[in-house]
Parts: sequence; structure tokens; C-alpha cells
Amino acid sequence: MAGSALRRLMAEYKQLTLNPPEGIIAGPINEENFFEWEALITGPEGTCFEGGVFPAKLIFPPDYPLSPPKMQFTCEMFHPNIYADGRVCISILHAPGDDPMGYESSAERWSPVQSVEKILLSVVSMLAEPNDESGANVDAAKMWRENREEFNRIAERIVRRTLGIPT
Amino acid sequence: MPVILLDRLPVPNLRMYSAGSVLALSACVYYATQVIKDPDWGAVAEDIKDSNRSNASVPLGRSMGQFVSDVFSVMIREPICVWTMINMAFCWLILVGTAIQKLVFGELRVSEQQHLKDKFWNFVFYKFIFVFGIINVQYIDEVLLWCSWFSLLGFLHLLSQLSKDRFEYLSFSPTTPLWSHVKLLFLLTAIFTLSGFMLLVSVFVGFFGGFNTFAFMSAEVVLLSIRTLHVIIRYALHLYDMRQEGASSVSANEENRVWEKRGPIAYYTELSFELTALIIDFVHHLHMLVWSNIFLSMASLVICMQLRYLFHEIQRRYKKHRNYLWVRNHLEQNYPMASSEELADNSDNCAICWEKMESARKLPCTHLFHNTCLLSWLEQDTSCPTCRLALNIQTPSTSRIDPPDLQVDAPQPQRRQLNHFFHFDGSRYVSWLPSFSVEVSHAQLMRQDNAPASNSQLDAMARQVQQLFPHIPISTIINDLRVTRSVEITIENVLDGRLVAPTMYREPEVVPATNRAMSVWQASCDTDSQRNWDEFSVETVETEDTSSLGSRFSKSSSEREKILHRRKENLIQSARKRYIEKQKAAAAAKVELQS
Repeated sequence: MAGSALRRLMAEYKQLTLNPPEGIIAGPINEENFFEWEALITGPEGTCFEGGVFPAKLIFPPDYPLSPPKMQFTCEMFHPNIYADGRVCISILHAPGDDPMGYESSAERWSPVQSVEKILLSVVSMLAEPNDESGANVDAAKMWRENREEFNRIAERIVRRTLGIPT
Repeated sequence: MPVILLDRLPVPNLRMYSAGSVLALSACVYYATQVIKDPDWGAVAEDIKDSNRSNASVPLGRSMGQFVSDVFSVMIREPICVWTMINMAFCWLILVGTAIQKLVFGELRVSEQQHLKDKFWNFVFYKFIFVFGIINVQYIDEVLLWCSWFSLLGFLHLLSQLSKDRFEYLSFSPTTPLWSHVKLLFLLTAIFTLSGFMLLVSVFVGFFGGFNTFAFMSAEVVLLSIRTLHVIIRYALHLYDMRQEGASSVSANEENRVWEKRGPIAYYTELSFELTALIIDFVHHLHMLVWSNIFLSMASLVICMQLRYLFHEIQRRYKKHRNYLWVRNHLEQNYPMASSEELADNSDNCAICWEKMESARKLPCTHLFHNTCLLSWLEQDTSCPTCRLALNIQTPSTSRIDPPDLQVDAPQPQRRQLNHFFHFDGSRYVSWLPSFSVEVSHAQLMRQDNAPASNSQLDAMARQVQQLFPHIPISTIINDLRVTRSVEITIENVLDGRLVAPTMYREPEVVPATNRAMSVWQASCDTDSQRNWDEFSVETVETEDTSSLGSRFSKSSSEREKILHRRKENLIQSARKRYIEKQKAAAAAKVELQS
């Protein structure tokens, strides 16, 4: 039922506008289609992604909140839990049924009490602490484990790109 | 395949085509008037029509009506003129279609165009098989009659599909102007009325042509009208929903009772419409198969595949409904409605829809939800949304996947039902028989059934293996376990070197890219400490209004969009400013350290 999904998205948008979490902005790209949002996420302080502002797209299913939205970064990203095309792989975005990696307990998966705000906050903490067990980007996971310095340099470069500062 | 071919063909544009059609038609009319001006024509016509009207032999004395009818009768007799007229009719249909599209829909979205194309070719394919494979028409005029019937029907089908797509898109927005709703609803009603009219025609034809013709014709029309009515009713429910949102403050109690009832009503209308359409389609195809008496032909094969697909759909729908009933009964028997004190204690909204609760159902873990919200969630997952307490619901569908066997690939057969692949190897029977394969794909999004919720067994097995081989990531082990389903075989795989750490799986092009990036980085890295950070002039950001921007949620959508845009700009600008200042400070510190 698109009607109830629409009302819920409206409520979430309102809440995110009135009480925005620090460094996070999210809202529909175009109000003609309330099921496609853009979110800006500020890289958490004290991490290699500090200072960057990362844009991402959120696509909601018509039966939201029964099914989770899909999230994809629209800027270049290099992170163990983000696929090369920007899709985010965290357990909160996985429906209880599907389990691509096969080891998540259902407790941390999607449920209708989750919200856009909770998703974005989980993504921020994912940026700070990658889970190198789920290999969405195997290269990044390996570099994160074995060559942290290089990983930090790449992250730094991405941060500058998102701010429009030449590297 | 035919679509690709057609895309490459130089199809003339609409303006050229309609101009050509009009030109051809006027040439035919001119020809016809020339013929009837000929004094001999009257005599010929007289001969044919047994000369029961004597004054018609005087060509100049004809009235306007007679003139037109004479022209028409000449044109009917001339094959070329008949084809031009048919062409003109098609031209009209296309023009009407384009006009409706311009008036009601405006620019079509890409997905709508794709749907339309798919549906069109699907329709042409099946109707071709119907006309030449099942009805097996012998005479050209019969073919013409069926073709015109189906082109009208197909036209309405396509319009109805387009309206459905558009309705679904419009329901994604809270700010759709009323006018576009009105236009779309008007079109839908028009389609519905026309389909009623076509049903009358099919009754009329069936009166002369026999029951079978009637059944073939009416089944299609009934399907069309059911689908259209379904969209209309969904539309009505949606508009009612939206209206309720506006009026939610007024007499909330009364409205909410209606709201609670609305869930089952919507569910049952959806169910009955879908099932009726499927069953009619099924019976229609069965009728075709039985009537055509050609069990060993391409046509019957295609019909059989369609029947199989429809049967699976009906089965799926039925299973889903059983699941729904089961969950609902379980809900009503085991979980009581919350008392009014409990409701008062719990001041929160329903955690699923974020709306106020006037009545609620209570789970054993004391969490409260709207009845309908809870029902739709429990249909797909049997745990409390808030605390994940597993509820003891033995649904018929979960008992199907309950055996502790590792059913990880359960979703795949589900998926395969959607596409039928049929391969016929004729050379196995007679050497000269051709081989062919037919694939029928149904471009339809379908929710996968609930996959097994528990993978704990797989986890446990994977851990067992990982204890032996800590260097292999657990995801790789699980992937292998899915195939082997046994710890021993997986261990053997590892020992034999068939299973290795995922460095093997890396995409080859990623590595050079990062390497290149690395070298660029190293080049710029050397200069970085000397980089003059002052060269980045930071635009002065109006940070003073960020607070005011954040504390408002405007009622008008354009203003909301504007505010959101400004907030995004602000965020990026201030982050940029902070970053540059920090770099400046770091550079300054470094210089100080060096001196």
C-alpha cells in the first residue's frame, strides 16, 4: 500500500528536518517521487573519513516499512562494506528473509521499527568501524586489515573529492 | 528479437504516416467519384442490385447521402480501396492514442514505455497464435474481422496498462495536483465503459456465431474490464487514504474505526480481483486448448505453457491467502487487544506506521501495534518488530521450509517459474525435423516467498570449519557449505586447494585502478606539505540561517525542496571550510616545527 508508505515517509522526512542528527541531511530528491531520497552523510570525526560529505541515494519499496530501502553511495567510495558501485552492505538493510553472506543473525536485520535516521546512523558507524568479515569490497577489506596507511590515504583522497578540493 | 528488428527499420514518423494515409484515402475517394460519374456505372450497379430503384440511374439527381453511399459501395468492391480504408482506420487509432497520451499522460516515463512495448508484443504474439493457430481462419474477411476486434481490444488493454503504471507512479507523491487524478480517472472510466460496450458487441456476435465465438470474445473483454475496475478501485482507496490524512485531526475516533476496517476490505478486494482475473484467464486458455483439437502443434504448446504459468500464479496466490488467514486467526486467538489503560500508558505511536494508536494489539512482549500493521508484518516474518521476540506461529508456508535441511537455494525454483524455457529437439525423432526453443518471459515483479529465516546450522558448520582453517574468511566457507552441505566435504575442498581465500575472486581491473590512484597520490603527496592552503578561497557561507532552516517543516512542497537544497549546500560548504582550515593549521604547525 503506497498510501501508508507515503505517510510514513512524510513523517520521517518531517522528523529529519526538524531534528536533524549531527552532520546528516536526507530528503526526497524531487517531491514528485517520494520514494527516492538523497542523503548527505558527514564522515565521523577521528576516522579516516573525517570531514568528507558523502552523497548517497535511498530507494524505498512501495511496501515500506515492511521491506527495507536500498542505499547506494553516488560518490566514489572505498570501504570494506561498500560495493564498487556504491551499494551499501549492512545488516540493517537486509530483509529478514534474505541473507547474502549467510551469517547475520536476524536480530540485526531490517524490521519496520527501523527508520531512515537509524539506517544513516548505522552507516556513519560503519564508516568509522568497517566490518571486514563481510566482503562487499574484498580489496578494501584486505587493505583495511593489512595496510591501514594506504587505506587512509585513499580515504583522504575520496574525502577531498567530495569537498571539491583537488587532490 | 522482433523489437530489435523493428527499431532498426526506418519507421516513418507519425506525421508522415498520417499524411500518407489521408492522401491514399483521398485518391481512392477521387477514384470512386470518377467511377460513379460514369453513366455506365449506374447500369452496372443496377444489374448487381436487381434494379429496385429506378431513379438511381440518373447520376446528377443523387442526394448527398446517396452519393456517399454509392462512393462507399464502389470502394468496398475495390480491394486496393479496402486496404486503404483499413490503413486509415489504424491511422485513426494511432492518432487517437497519441492524442490521449498527450492529453492525459504527457511525457511517458522510461519504465512506462518499456511496459507498453512488452505488453504490445506479448499481445500481438498471443493473438497471432490465437487467430492462425486456434481459430484457424480460412477467409481473408474473417481475418480482417478478428484483426480489427483485437486491435481495438489491444488498444484499450495498452491504455489500461498505461493508466495503471501512471497511477502507481502518482501514488508515490503527496503533492499530485487534483487535475491529473481527474484526467486519469476519467480515462479509466471511459475504458471501462467501452469494454462494457464491447461486451455487448460480443454478445451480439455470439448470438449469430455460436457459443464458442462468444466465449472467446467475451473472456478477453471481461478480463479488460476487470483489470480496469481493479485499478479504479485501488485508485479510489488511495484517494480515500490521502483524504483521510488531511482530515485526520477531525473526529479521529470515528475515522479510526473505519481505518481499522479498511485493511481487510482492501485485502479482500485485491484478492478477489486478482483471483477472478487469473481464473478467467485460465478457463479461457483451457477453452482454447479443448476447442482447437490440435494437441500436437506449436499453438497448443504455447497455450499449455501459459496454462502452467497461470496455474502456478493461482496456486501462489492461494498459498499466500492461506498464510494470511492463518496469521490472522493466530493473531486474534493468541494476542489480546490492548486495554484502554495500556493504551494510555503507552503514549507512543505505532512503531510500524508512525501513526497514533486508538486501538492496538498486544504481543506477549508487551509491545503494541496497530492490528493491520502487525498483520502485514507477521505475514512475512514471525517476530516482534521491536524486540525480535520470535512468536510461535506455525504458518503453513513456514512448515514447508521448516525441516532443518539446508534449504539455502529455496528462492531459486520460485524464480524459475516466471520464465518458461521450452526446448524441442526435433532431430531426436526424425532427422529432418527442426529444433527450436521458446522462451516466454513474464516481465513482472514478484515478491519472493519467505526464505528460511534460520541459518544457524550453516553458521555452526562454518565456524567448525573456520576453527581448522582460520585464514579462510567465513563467507567463503559458507558459500562452499551451501554447495556441499557437509563439513567433511568442505574440509576436503580446502585441503585439496579447491577452496582458497578470496584473493582469487578479486576483479582484475580494480587493482590497476587503485595502483594508478596510488601513484598519483604519491606524486601529489610530496608537494602536499608545501601546498599553499591559502589558494583555496573559502566562499563566505551564510551560516547564520542554518538554525532557522533546520527548525521548520514547510507546508508547501516547493519551499521544502528549496530549504532542503540550501541545507545541503550549507553542509558541504561548512565541511569544506572546516577541512581547509584544519589543513592550514596542520601546514602552519609543520612549518613551525621545521623552523
